[in-house]
Amino acid sequence: MTSPPAKPAAPRRFPLGSLLYAAAAAGAVALAATTPLNGYLLNILMQAATYSVAVIGLTVVLGLCGQINLAQAAFFGLGAYAVGLGTVDAGISFWLCLPVGMLLAAGLGAVLGASTLRLGGHYLAMVTISFQQILTLVLTNWIPVTHGPDGVPGIRRPPLFADGQSYLALCVAVLALVGYAVWRMPKTRLGRAMRAVRDNELAAGVAGINVYRTKVAAFALGALLAGLGGGLFAGGFTYISPDQFSFAESVVFLTMALLGGVGSPVGAVIGTGLLILIPEWLRFLKEIPGLYLAIYGLAVILIVVFMPDGIWGFLGDQVRRLRRRRPAPPPAGDLVLEQAAGTGAPVLEVEELSKHFGGLKAVDAVSFAVARGGIHALIGPNGSGKTTTLNVLSGLYTPTGGRVRLEGRDITHRSPHARAAAGIGRTFQNIRLFRSMSALENVVIGAERPDNALVARDRAALEARAREALAFVGLEGRADEPVASFSYGHQRLIEIARALAGNPVLLLLDEPAAGLNSSEKNALTVLLRRMAAKGLTILIIDHDMTLVSDVANHITVLNFGRRIADGLTAGVLREPAVIEAYLGEAEGPATGLKTDLAPA
Amino acid sequence: MDLILQLLFTGIGIGSVYALVALGFVLIFRAANVVNFAQGEFSMVAAFLMVVFAVDLGWPYWLSILLTLGGMALLGALFNLGVYYPLRHRTYLPVIISTIGASIFLANTTLALYGPQPQVLPPVFEGQGFLVGPVFLDSQYLLIIAVTAALVAFQYWFFEHTLVGKKLQATSQDKEMAALLGIPVAGMIMLTFVYSAVLGGIAGILVAPVLFVSIQMGATIALKAFAATIIGGFGDVAGAIVGGLALGVIETFGAAYVSVPYKDAFAFIVLVIFLVLRPQGLFGERVAEKA
Amino acid sequence: MTTRRAFIKASACTIAGGLVPGVIRSAWAQGAGATTRIGMVLPVTGPGADAGRFALNGAKIALEAVNKAGGVLGKPLEIVTEDDQTTNPGAVLAFSKLASQPDLVGFLGSIRSTQNHAMAPDILKTGKPVCFGGTDPVLTQLGNPWLFRFRPNDSFSARVIAEHGVAGLGKKKWAVIHSTDAFGTSGAKALTEALGKAGATVALDQGYANQSQDFTPVVLAIRQSGADVIGSYFTFENDLGIFARQLRQLGVTAPWVGSPSITNVTALKLAGPSLYGTYGVADYAEESSDAARAFGKAYRAATKLAPDNQSSWTFDAVTVLAQAINKAGKTDPQAIREALLAVRGHEGAEGTYNFDKNGDGLHGYNVVRNDKGTIVFDKRIDFYQG
Repeated sequence: MTSPPAKPAAPRRFPLGSLLYAAAAAGAVALAATTPLNGYLLNILMQAATYSVAVIGLTVVLGLCGQINLAQAAFFGLGAYAVGLGTVDAGISFWLCLPVGMLLAAGLGAVLGASTLRLGGHYLAMVTISFQQILTLVLTNWIPVTHGPDGVPGIRRPPLFADGQSYLALCVAVLALVGYAVWRMPKTRLGRAMRAVRDNELAAGVAGINVYRTKVAAFALGALLAGLGGGLFAGGFTYISPDQFSFAESVVFLTMALLGGVGSPVGAVIGTGLLILIPEWLRFLKEIPGLYLAIYGLAVILIVVFMPDGIWGFLGDQVRRLRRRRPAPPPAGDLVLEQAAGTGAPVLEVEELSKHFGGLKAVDAVSFAVARGGIHALIGPNGSGKTTTLNVLSGLYTPTGGRVRLEGRDITHRSPHARAAAGIGRTFQNIRLFRSMSALENVVIGAERPDNALVARDRAALEARAREALAFVGLEGRADEPVASFSYGHQRLIEIARALAGNPVLLLLDEPAAGLNSSEKNALTVLLRRMAAKGLTILIIDHDMTLVSDVANHITVLNFGRRIADGLTAGVLREPAVIEAYLGEAEGPATGLKTDLAPA
Repeated sequence: MDLILQLLFTGIGIGSVYALVALGFVLIFRAANVVNFAQGEFSMVAAFLMVVFAVDLGWPYWLSILLTLGGMALLGALFNLGVYYPLRHRTYLPVIISTIGASIFLANTTLALYGPQPQVLPPVFEGQGFLVGPVFLDSQYLLIIAVTAALVAFQYWFFEHTLVGKKLQATSQDKEMAALLGIPVAGMIMLTFVYSAVLGGIAGILVAPVLFVSIQMGATIALKAFAATIIGGFGDVAGAIVGGLALGVIETFGAAYVSVPYKDAFAFIVLVIFLVLRPQGLFGERVAEKA
Repeated sequence: MTTRRAFIKASACTIAGGLVPGVIRSAWAQGAGATTRIGMVLPVTGPGADAGRFALNGAKIALEAVNKAGGVLGKPLEIVTEDDQTTNPGAVLAFSKLASQPDLVGFLGSIRSTQNHAMAPDILKTGKPVCFGGTDPVLTQLGNPWLFRFRPNDSFSARVIAEHGVAGLGKKKWAVIHSTDAFGTSGAKALTEALGKAGATVALDQGYANQSQDFTPVVLAIRQSGADVIGSYFTFENDLGIFARQLRQLGVTAPWVGSPSITNVTALKLAGPSLYGTYGVADYAEESSDAARAFGKAYRAATKLAPDNQSSWTFDAVTVLAQAINKAGKTDPQAIREALLAVRGHEGAEGTYNFDKNGDGLHGYNVVRNDKGTIVFDKRIDFYQG
């Protein structure tokens, strides 16, 4: 293993944003501590600050990771009851109760997530509702412990913050810290992983992200923040009862997050503040019971339909347009793809691999081996099982039978991200990029592949690596643009760059030429050759026989899920069975497939 | 023994209500891949409409039912246009939230128009019910069970033996393919919403005499019906029926033999067990995203 | 309160803080300083909105009477209301909003005990008298000097239920059915205690969660237990209605003595014949006294509705509070407090007010009977001893 070549350090940006944030936060804390507030304002601000912390928890789960959680009030309640019961019944210090409540919430969040996050979607919505309902029932009925519906009165605040204003200042300070952490989170490894999972679970998995663990982490983190908010809430109001943590509250939390914008902690604070204040402005509506809430329900629909990113998402777009462009980074270096010394053993060995869907044998006892270096093509007519094979190889499907070995290691039963860690990279026929990210961020996720020994784990190194990969496919100049602004052909190149940045042992390309025009196809051919020239091992499937015969030095042919030919390119293309499979029996066996490859 | 029979009857009666509402869930889920969190409010709105027509205005019961179901059809259509249609190309998340918004809207609009007092809707039959041996059979519950069975039969006939039913099935299985075959997909989805709203309405009219007419009545039933849907296997009609009945029976026996205050927890505990052990439900197939 | 509210009330909650004051102004009283103002926390939204309306009706009738009689401290009385949204945080915000208005001299709190619990810290901080209707006995034992109860607390209702059932009806084997919310559990606890003292046995103590759709298991349990009398604490009328119907359907004919909800208008409407012949304890019974009759007449005249305890206690609270302020002669909270504590023998709609040192004004209940849908006064049992 050689160390990566030294790169000039990227210019560090002056952390203006962070400094401004710190100043604003300090100002807010000072203001909270010193401005004389009447009881009403104090209560409303206390509520806003503590709720905001919980809503920021939703920013993590829902905004960053895209998982719905309709039990945020339950986690909020866990934190609150930990502080309530801890300080009142057990006489434990507030400072001990608060983290206990947070851990309790995070632990239950993790368990809840771990047991159901594989299902996702509607199921997750239902399970979180169930948890919410059960917790409410327990809080109400387990009277010896929870005091039941009477609630817990006389909760004690910590000695230093016993007075309302100083306690509010504490809440605001915590809110500021939490807000900062979540604001910076998208740029961290975990945050990027969450966004990748949200944007495209499958692609995240094959890029080496442990999708399941990322989701559980997001869920636990969201619950942790809810617990923190709840603990502060209990101290703030000094009385809690089960009905404050009901399902209805969870819906309120969710609406607060959505209204403000689920993508940013700022949105969370805006949403929370508005939903606590709006009723103030709409006083006149309250004369008729129900009218206010009817309008509220209507507003939820309108927000979802017309302002999908919430208020802050909407404002943020305007701000981003005004922002100065960053200074250009230094020119990227040459992409290094490092391959283990050739031992002569095949990189990939597939033995008797089968995948059945019910009675359909999509892949039926297929065996082949991919030698190190060069391009191996897997071809076959539509429905021959090519893509299924690829999906089994990258771990998206569990095989019905057979074995897969990568560099001699059995990876048959590994998950997609574990295979990525072992060195399999892949692209998809229908491009799967992380749509909310820039080209660079997409490729950084590729570079972050676990066990990618080539890149240090700091941001500068990762970005440098990603730029190299983008430069390799010719898109370095547009690295910071969002992927949605790229043409279809360029998006495919970004996907390839994402895989390359991870320095894969084996690269699986799923119909890379699909949807490309002829000049793009030519460019792709050149690119494939350049990749092969770097010693990379590639397994490609494609319909385009010209492309395949152009670049591949070895071909395996499938038909109806079975291998019908395997060997060097020129030989395989002349085999009668192959010709028959492609052209039917009408064509004479001697014609051969039309390629511009001269017969060997 | 008579105790068990009595509980069984009650459980099946309550379960039929869940099943009826669950049926509406399943239809919309199959057609539009949407979980409609406002399904319970359909029942609530229908019950209030009945109170307006049959009690306040004193019109004949059958006419009130017709008018109410007509109103529900209209509501279903408006719901589709306002809550689902604008979001049809987005992911499930905005749609869930939008239907939650709709449920808040419907409940509170009713509150604003009608006030918070619970109302009484007289049952269809005069007598309360009769004793069969030691078991009391509530006539309204008998009616609920009968109507649920009839609707299931109707639905089976409709989907399997009519052209419109087959088109609906095609739409729910593969919208793109259905569109290619010339089936008006948007129209079919509209029809599904209308039918689901009517189903929810029937459930509301039937339970109103038993549970009284209140703003909250829909939400409590809907949560259970939703759980029933998942237990039965999302998107499966038979599953919704079996899931609903099972839930009603489990809940009633759980209350009788384990704990009354925790009665509502049983539904959710069963649900969670199912989700962990058999997430595809009793009848459903595991759904996987295709690469 | 409700353990399980679902989508509907979704937002009700806390969104809020919400607070929306409907200010009842008499036409001739405008402008600050021209009136003596008291605050009132009541549910305008949420499941308690119904009760909130009744409470406001009662307060309004008292307000008019007070102002007709010359007002308070020579100025007309004015009530400023805030919506508590039927939630605890809502109540806290509503109260603190009112408390931040320095010219309010006293307050009407909630009829719900947990809301009063939630407001208690702020009430203590504010240091002004709060008249409330929640019946959890603990509320007046918190050591909070500013809480004044205008309904008899649950220990009295339990003692009256027990006394009527054991001594009046001669039944000793009880089934106690109660909601698992704060009201139901504290009531059931007090009833069990009172029954023990009266020498009766509890054959069944059965809680249920609010908004249950079915009571078959509960009714069957009563049948199994062999109880010959039922004592109940129901919070919501629709639960009561379903229970009553199923009780009769499944052939339980044991006499039934219920907490006040068994006598209220909505319950009578929902349950109909199922409640015929039951007994209830009622803090308000129209025929129980001249004062109660007079209030009933005024209430019917003003609202065309039958009066009940949700309006009678606010009527008494406004009346007594106004008297106390007048007697104190100033708006100093301590003076008003002492004037309230000194109230003896005031004939209110709910009964005779004699405040004890804890701030409990009433010490007894009326027993009423449901005679084919009409509530008939049976007797009053009062435990006040000078």
